Amino acid sequence: MTTRRFIVEPRGLASPQLKLFVPVASVLAAMAVGAVFLLVTGVNPLTVYAQMYDAAFGSARGFSETLISATPLILTGVAAAIAFKMLVWNIGGEGQFLMGAVFAAGIAIWLGDGAPAALALPAVVLAGGLGGAVWAAVAAVPRVYLGTNEIITTLMLNFIALNFVNFLIFGSNSPWRDPAVTTFPSGRPIPDAARMPDFFNRLDIGIFIAIGMAVAAWYLMEKTSWGFAVRIVGDSSSTARYAGVGVAQKILGVFLLSGAAAGFAGGLFVSGPVGALDPRSLDLGLGFTGIIVAALARLNLIAVIPVAILMGALNNSGPSLQAIGVPTATVTMLQGAILIFAVAGEFFIRNRLRRPERSSSSNPEEVVAA
Amino acid sequence: MRFTRWRGFAVLLVAFALVVAACGGDDGADTGTPDQPGEVLKVAFVHVGPVADKGWSWAHDQGAQFLKAQLGDAVDITTLEIIPEGSDSQRVFEDLAAAGNKLIFGTSFGYMDPMLAAAENFPDTVFMHATGFKTSEGMGNYFGAAEEARYLSGMAAGAATETNLIGYVAAFPIPEVLRGINAFTLGALEVNPGVEVQVVWTSTWFDPPKEGTAAESLLDAGADVIAMHQDSAAPGQAAEAAGAKWVGYNTDMSEFAPTAWLTAAIWDWGPIYLETAQQVIAGTWESEAFYGNMAGGMVALAPFGESVEQATRDLILERQAQIIDGSFSIFPDPIMNQDGESQPLGDIFGMDFFVQGVIGSPTG
Repeated sequence: MTTRRFIVEPRGLASPQLKLFVPVASVLAAMAVGAVFLLVTGVNPLTVYAQMYDAAFGSARGFSETLISATPLILTGVAAAIAFKMLVWNIGGEGQFLMGAVFAAGIAIWLGDGAPAALALPAVVLAGGLGGAVWAAVAAVPRVYLGTNEIITTLMLNFIALNFVNFLIFGSNSPWRDPAVTTFPSGRPIPDAARMPDFFNRLDIGIFIAIGMAVAAWYLMEKTSWGFAVRIVGDSSSTARYAGVGVAQKILGVFLLSGAAAGFAGGLFVSGPVGALDPRSLDLGLGFTGIIVAALARLNLIAVIPVAILMGALNNSGPSLQAIGVPTATVTMLQGAILIFAVAGEFFIRNRLRRPERSSSSNPEEVVAA
Repeated sequence: MRFTRWRGFAVLLVAFALVVAACGGDDGADTGTPDQPGEVLKVAFVHVGPVADKGWSWAHDQGAQFLKAQLGDAVDITTLEIIPEGSDSQRVFEDLAAAGNKLIFGTSFGYMDPMLAAAENFPDTVFMHATGFKTSEGMGNYFGAAEEARYLSGMAAGAATETNLIGYVAAFPIPEVLRGINAFTLGALEVNPGVEVQVVWTSTWFDPPKEGTAAESLLDAGADVIAMHQDSAAPGQAAEAAGAKWVGYNTDMSEFAPTAWLTAAIWDWGPIYLETAQQVIAGTWESEAFYGNMAGGMVALAPFGESVEQATRDLILERQAQIIDGSFSIFPDPIMNQDGESQPLGDIFGMDFFVQGVIGSPTG
């Protein structure tokens, strides 16, 4: 019996059908592997998958909760996608998200109860973006002018931002802390005028703002000359420099825009479902999850929207699986499997497996897969 | 060629279909709300940590199992663990209510506001929140005076230390934790006036590596007894490894560090869970803020470790009897604070200072 060997070779341009088929097949493959695992642990996979679907999409309330979870992920996904597109490795979405929340809650509290919603809502949204951009600038300026490694600086700034939020609530009597509650350090409630108005259960207008911003970001990057110049920088900074594009300013601009997107997410989240600068409600890793969203969306700013909704669904279905007797560890494993398969599917979009002709098997360049 | 390219996926899909087909059959309808006509009360518990933590969440789960053992088929219990605190948890509580649970316990402080909001949206469901301070028509709360047992465990620690430095690994600088540290310190000082209690904050309820490291730093600083307000046994394991002594919390954790073990303030949540379920079944439940104590049995002192001397045990049990019969109150009023100044005791549920003898900052 001869060993079957495959050659892995880069695909040219993947067809649109393939781009759609591979992610769908990846998720199905993950579910198949998960099904085997579930069967071994004595749980009926059909029940589990039906429950997951039901929890996330099966009722109007469930779907509204999925959209609530998706809202910040759309924008942290946009933040990562914009930056990664031009090879700016902003891993700091988490910290920029938190600083967006700090700025947004700050302006809402500063405006106070008297401010009209027409003033407070735009102020909160813009303050969120500003907070994210300022925090991104802390890493962006040294990156552009001193050549520091932004992967390390943005990563470390995440922890500083989280500690700063904890300091504002636990470690000081800051304006963000609620003086009325002495039992447990808590965030001061944001005035009602500055809360995103909800229209179905807890679902608020933040979802529309997030989708609108994702579309605007797509337009900026794909349809404007600024976006075109940025994409050239992403493809080859020497080409861009030769073409007279100001590379430093473009990198700085994209970095700040990326930070602003994550900051918008923080601002919408704190003024939407949370309603106060509450460290426990904000520390959910939404900035980090945005990186996964961007990767699954293949850095496509429109694809970020449905992917974020799917991630929200995946997140929300977890507890309901526990309710039907699936252990927590299995739930986490299942969620992880779906993500890993989806990311791995990317490989088949970029590459194809080809059975070599017998004569060519001595080619030393070939990559061999069993 | 085209066919070959897709064949791998096709095989996967067929395999998936087979797996699905193989396990079809027994139950198809599974979408949440089994409204059986019987008198089954659906009860749900939501925990912040894993119920296997052998600490806080485990103690609550023991209470849930007690409830099940007492009422049997009259209750159907759902347990959710590792549910993060904060606004996101409102969804989890509402999902449980929508799935037909009529009595829902949330066993961590950070569920308070989300539960309050969920209780408003689901007025037919009884919500019970542990450790908080807010109630509404649909939400009661319950907690207990762990400080009573902490005072007694402080006596055991004060008698055991030779370096006169006790390390205290603590979660968050909130009144509940400060109350426990102060009660513990007063107990230690009663049997050993020269003792000091050094506090390290971890900003976590359950994070074994971090809590273990915090204990090691206190041992390095010269502490020979470790106390804790944490849900893991990691500080005790650090103490055991260093040959030091350990005062636990939540449950009898002596198996993790049998030599180091002195005693602990522990919880018995079973009776409150049983009583609440019975009230909901009978339709007599009314929202209230319940504060249990040693006299009522919600709080107790764990069995002593072997190294606790008989004279110390006698002293502690004598105090325990006085606490239970109400003849001894653990906090004097006025009280000596950390700076050596006398101040009024004030509301112990809003306690924000350390007593004399504590090293560290009460604001974290």
